[in-house]
Amino acid sequence: MRLLDQDPIDPEIAATLDAIDATLAGEPVDARYAELAEIALLLASDRPQVPPEFARSMDERVGRRFAPAGRAGAGQTVAAGAARRRRLARRFWETAGALAAGVALIVAIVVVAGGGGGASSASSSSASSSAASSPAVSGAAASSTATAPARAPAPLASAAPHTSASSAAKAQASSTVAPAQQTSGSSPAVLQPPTTGRKVVQSAQLNLTAAPSHIDAVAQEVYDVVGQVNGIVNSSSVTQGGPTGYANFQLSVPSASLAQTMSRLSQLTYAQVASRTDNTQDITGQFDAATRALADARALRTSLLKQLENATTTEEVDSLKAQINDAEASISSDEATLARLNNQVNFSQINLQINASTPPVPVSHGGGGFGIGRAAHDAGRVLTVAAGVALIVLAALTPVGLVVALFWWVGAAVRRRRREQALDSV
Amino acid sequence: MDRALVRSVGVTEIVTRTSSSAAGSWERFEELYRSSRDHVYAYVLTLLRDPAAAEDVTALAFERAYRRRRTFDRRRGEERAWLFGIARNAALDELRRRRRTTTLVTDPSEDVTDGGEDDGADVALRRTAVQAALAKLPAREREIIALKFHAGMSNAELARVLGVTESNAGTLLYRTMEKLRKACDATA
Repeated sequence: MRLLDQDPIDPEIAATLDAIDATLAGEPVDARYAELAEIALLLASDRPQVPPEFARSMDERVGRRFAPAGRAGAGQTVAAGAARRRRLARRFWETAGALAAGVALIVAIVVVAGGGGGASSASSSSASSSAASSPAVSGAAASSTATAPARAPAPLASAAPHTSASSAAKAQASSTVAPAQQTSGSSPAVLQPPTTGRKVVQSAQLNLTAAPSHIDAVAQEVYDVVGQVNGIVNSSSVTQGGPTGYANFQLSVPSASLAQTMSRLSQLTYAQVASRTDNTQDITGQFDAATRALADARALRTSLLKQLENATTTEEVDSLKAQINDAEASISSDEATLARLNNQVNFSQINLQINASTPPVPVSHGGGGFGIGRAAHDAGRVLTVAAGVALIVLAALTPVGLVVALFWWVGAAVRRRRREQALDSV
Repeated sequence: MDRALVRSVGVTEIVTRTSSSAAGSWERFEELYRSSRDHVYAYVLTLLRDPAAAEDVTALAFERAYRRRRTFDRRRGEERAWLFGIARNAALDELRRRRRTTTLVTDPSEDVTDGGEDDGADVALRRTAVQAALAKLPAREREIIALKFHAGMSNAELARVLGVTESNAGTLLYRTMEKLRKACDATA
């Protein structure tokens, strides 16, 4: 490092130094510098001379370019050394290049295999990935809330073919009983309780995910499905806008159509199944009890009516009429209970939730071949990963390099200081 | 022209350029050696005051310079200053080594008084006084004298070797010369 010379030298000192330089150059100087000039000349003439043996030895060493004595000629030694160094350097770079190529190849294989596998399963396992990232639903302030009519709208003319057309692509969507997630491309497993004449109440919970921009379309598909199975939309709430979206439906569908309904809801065009829960409850006992109670009440009323025909006194007639009224009230209550139970059995409740989520990366599987687009995609991933690895390596090496540089700098400073101290100690 | 021949000519040019570059590098070093050998030896001997050690250090300095000749950067100074920087480090390392082991001091004045054989009595007396005064100077000041009068360096080169500014180097030289002059006067 060149030091900046900011301090101007004293004029007297400068004049003295000029006089010394002039003396050494053989030029005359002012008389006031005569003594210094004489000392300068004496110092210059007293320069230690190189011993002839040492001079000859040095000339020889320099002549053979500091190669050890007793070997081949200097030129040959140097040439051989240079060739050896070149061979070593070439071997080093070849090895380093092979290693780098190997690492790059491994990274490429890992990336392509990992990325390709993920991409190819994106469609079939989208429900699984979406389920993992099921977003928390919040009523966005900017969103709009629409209340659906109690009765589902009539199916659109295009709904059926639309669903049919997309069913092939959606055939891989499936669900399992909660909390298991959809994991493969198997067909939807629809649970159906055994039909042994028992009274069973069925209900289901279905969570779907869809792109924020498709919440409306999915809601319309839900209406269509419910209309096709003559179901009822008890309540609905559709919220959309911005990156989030949410919809909730309380559906009642004929129990006979529950499996079909669930299957269709699991295959909506713009939605993927995140989770599905099927519930069943056997109410045969309650139903039989209500039936028996109704029969008993009816029998009691019949008996009371007969007793009323044979009644003779006013008190007796009044008492029987009161009992008949009680029996009829009991009959009405039991009939209502039976009707409610029948309704529960005949109509199944479905709680359907649709959450917005980031759609999976679409990957074309047309033919499953390795096309230019796929290759470009994989190449991009390889470059991205390579850049990431390089960035990580750089980030890891930077502090190491700084520490090494610090140690080198401290070492150099200490070494310089010790040398100067050695000069002062003599 | 045949492509193989063009390629061959290109390779030959590269090899020739590399060889000429190496040869030029060697020629520059050899020229530096021829012009500086005596000066480096004189400087190191004045600093160490041990002829044997001075020979070793001089040889080591030139060998190091030869090994590092490709790292020389002309923008950082002239080759002579660079060479003397290497010699200085080697000499200081030798001083440190000697300080750790033993002190071997030979008065170089015994070897350098030959120049006064033909001088008159006054000059011989004066020369002896200067040599005695120089021998009493600390190593740091002896070094300045050696660089200036034995190596024939300019003040800028002297500053470069010592790692100080040129004005600092000039001031150091002035003070050392004044000290030397007063010592000579006292001896006389």
